[in-house]
Order: sequence, then structure tokens, then C-alpha cells
Amino acid sequence: MTTDEILIKVEDLKMDFGPVKVLKGISTQIKKGEVLVIVGASGSGKSTFLRTLNLLEEPTGGHIFFEGVDITDEKIDINLHRQKMGTVFQQFNLFPHMSILYNMTLGPIKLLKKSKAEAEAEAMELLKRVGLADRAKAYPSQLSGGQKQRVAIVRALAMHPDVMLFDEPTSALDPEMVGEVLDVMKNLAKDGMTMVVVTHEMGFAREVADRVMFICDGVIGEEGTPQEFFASPKNPRLKDFLSKVL
Amino acid sequence: MSAWLEDFKSEFYLNFIKGDKWLWLVDGLKATLKIAFFAVILGIVIGVLVAVIRSSWDQNGKKLRGGAKFIMRILNFIAKTYLTVIRGTPVVVQLMIMYYVIFASSTNAILIATMAFGINSGAYVAEIFRSGIMSVDKGQFEAGRSLGFNYIQTMWYIVIPQALKNVLPALANEFITLLKETSVAGYVTITDLTRAGDLIRGKTFSAFMPLIAVALIYLVMVVILTWLVGILERKLRTSDH
Repeated sequence: MTTDEILIKVEDLKMDFGPVKVLKGISTQIKKGEVLVIVGASGSGKSTFLRTLNLLEEPTGGHIFFEGVDITDEKIDINLHRQKMGTVFQQFNLFPHMSILYNMTLGPIKLLKKSKAEAEAEAMELLKRVGLADRAKAYPSQLSGGQKQRVAIVRALAMHPDVMLFDEPTSALDPEMVGEVLDVMKNLAKDGMTMVVVTHEMGFAREVADRVMFICDGVIGEEGTPQEFFASPKNPRLKDFLSKVL
Repeated sequence: MSAWLEDFKSEFYLNFIKGDKWLWLVDGLKATLKIAFFAVILGIVIGVLVAVIRSSWDQNGKKLRGGAKFIMRILNFIAKTYLTVIRGTPVVVQLMIMYYVIFASSTNAILIATMAFGINSGAYVAEIFRSGIMSVDKGQFEAGRSLGFNYIQTMWYIVIPQALKNVLPALANEFITLLKETSVAGYVTITDLTRAGDLIRGKTFSAFMPLIAVALIYLVMVVILTWLVGILERKLRTSDH
């Protein structure tokens, strides 16, 4: 599904937390329709990298171009660009004081200025796609982890994003619920959504990714198609990592 | 027994009926309610503002740059000074300073007292709210921002409703305290409920009836307030199940 159009261009991205250098200069390009899976040991900087892409963490150096605009530029309105970048978190982060339906329509109504009826119709359509239409009136606390994460994904989709960022979307789930969330993500990839996914699910990486990236000590240790990446890793750190997780 | 009852009746007549003195209590109650009601609203407005300033500085101050950082630094300093001064001095003294010093030229005692109690309560509401904002998971804020909401929208739609629910019991406590604290309004010539009771006592030289009546009226008000907050709490809990 990968096209030639570049959606996100990252140039020499650096991130320090005080004296700790988490990202030491990452450069890459993400093409429209591409599914990029990022793996790495905990503390390697992979989640930080993902979170800098929509500036939830503000990088201390480098540039991020999203649809041609440098979003690290202080003068741009980051909120407008974030609307086009859906984010799914490890801990779901659904709004507990709102029904599922309202979780999904809040953004479209307040930010995209859609009518309530239109936003709700779209939300119901999305809920149907992930098999949760009957839970529209429920509250997040009444859902299982897997259901919550599926809602979190469609909540992000309701904003019609151009890219979806996933920060370890299955890590907080009970094992039997991982599959249902991965299935939603697979369908999303099939529909041509550009996705950046930080995950420990190597099966997902192998099956769905167009490119797999190994981040290690704040730099890109190795990257390539899943075939090259898993069959013939060159970086010794990656070999070591794969031997532990596969 | 009948002697006691006769005594009670004549005391009651003397303190409330004779010369329509019960109307003093009614007028006093009106003043108390007026001051307490508007002071609560003023306290909430000030409290939310100060809490948002304080917690945004604590959580995001480091990330700000340039002019925004400068403005937030000054606002945070003002907020902190306000909290220190208001919480560090007695409300009666604040009330008297407001009436006899700052607004010495005005005679609208009720308005000045409302402001004094509102400003006082704002400091406590601010700290209650700040603890509420801090208690909301950081992921909620991030989820709001990642959808494209700006800072204020995220606070308004997502963080503050959850914070409010968390702090409702503490907030109710503050409102009860405020209602009862207005009983010092007599210091600045206001005939509030307490003062009205005291005026009756001065007139009749009988302390029991008017003071117990005043106490009962406060008690009933607090019970009603507690009941209303209980209803609100149950309503806000619908999402918990």
C-alpha cells in the first residue's frame, strides 16, 4: 500500500530529559500508506520517538515535517496538525466521565464543527466496524480492556487522521484480548492507513509491517522489510534482542 | 412540667413574637444567604482560575518559552502571594480591612462582605481544585491534546469535569465553612443572622431562645446543603457503575 508521497519526514531528532539523552539523532521518512513498526528494548527511546512525532514530547533538537509543514516550528498551531495525527495509548485513556459515543463525538463536534447528528452517525458506523455498536451508550468502566482499546482506536479515527500513531497498544491487555485489537489494526492497514506502531508483537510486525525499525540507545539500530529484518539481522544488538523476544 | 411549658411560651413570645422580632431573624437570614451565595460563586471563579494557573505552571511551566513563560511566571507569583496572604490571616481581619480600609468610602457593607468572603474562600477552593486537577491521570490530558484540543479546551472538557467529581466532598466542606463564617459579618455593621439573634438577646436580656434559634437555622441550612451535594455526587457517579 506504500505510496511515494512522503507524509512525515524526521530530521536529526534529538530529545534530552535533563542530562539523559533519550534520542540521539533520528532521521527517517514515513510514506503515505506505509505501516512502520518500531521495536526495541524498554528504555531504548522508541516510545519517546513516537510521542515526539505529534509533539506530546517536545524534541530538544531536529525537525519533524508533517505533510510538508515543520511542526517543530514554534509559530505553527500544533493543535491543527494534531487533529490529523490519531494517537492510541497503552493505557487507552478513554474519558471516563463520558459515554463511548460521546468519547468519539467530542472531537468531531468541538474541533471539526460537525453537527451532533452527523458526528454520531459517523461514530456509530465506526463502532459497527469494530463490533461495538451495542456499547455506544456504555461508559468506559463497563468495557473490557480489549473493547476499550478498540474504542480508543475508533475515537482517533473519528477525527479522520492522515496517520495513526500506536504506543504499545496491546501491552496493557490480558493475553486473550490482544488478538481483537491487532485484528482492528490489521484491517486498518489493509484499508491503506499510514501507521506508526511501537509494539512488542513480533507476529504483527512480520505480518503487517512494510518496514520494521529497531531503536537502540536513542538511534536507529537497523531497519528494513520484515523479511530482511527477522531473517538476517546484522546489528549484534538486534540479534540479541530478537533472540530474547522470538 | 406545665410551669416549664408556660415559661417556654412566655420566653418564646418575648423573644420572637413581641414587636415582631422574628422578622429580625428573617432579615438577618436574607443577608446571610445573600452574602454566602454570591461569595461561593466568586470563590469558585477565583478558585478555578488560581488552580488552573498554579497547576499549569507546575505541570507545563518548564516547556513554555518566551512571552508565554514570562506571563505565566508572573501569574503564578500573584497566585502564590494571594494564597499565602489570604490563608495566613483571619477572615474577620480581612473583612474589616476591606470595609474600614480599602473600601472606607463605601457603605455598601453587604457587597463588601460578599467580596471579602468570596476572595477568602477562593484561596481554599483553589487548593482543593488544584489537588483535583493533579489527581486526574496525565494520560487524560495527553489524550485530549492528541485529539487536537488546545490547553484550555482539554482542561475544560476533560480534566476539570473529572477533577470536580474527585473534589466534590472537599468542596462541600468549604461551602459549609463559608456559610458559617459569614456569622462574623456583624463586625462590619451588617445585621446577618447571628447579629440579628444577638440584637434580640440585647433587647430581651434572654440568651437561650434567640441563640438556639440562630444555631438551629444554621444547622438546617447546612443539612439542606449537604443533601443537595449528595444528590450532585450521585449524579456525577453515573459513569462509575
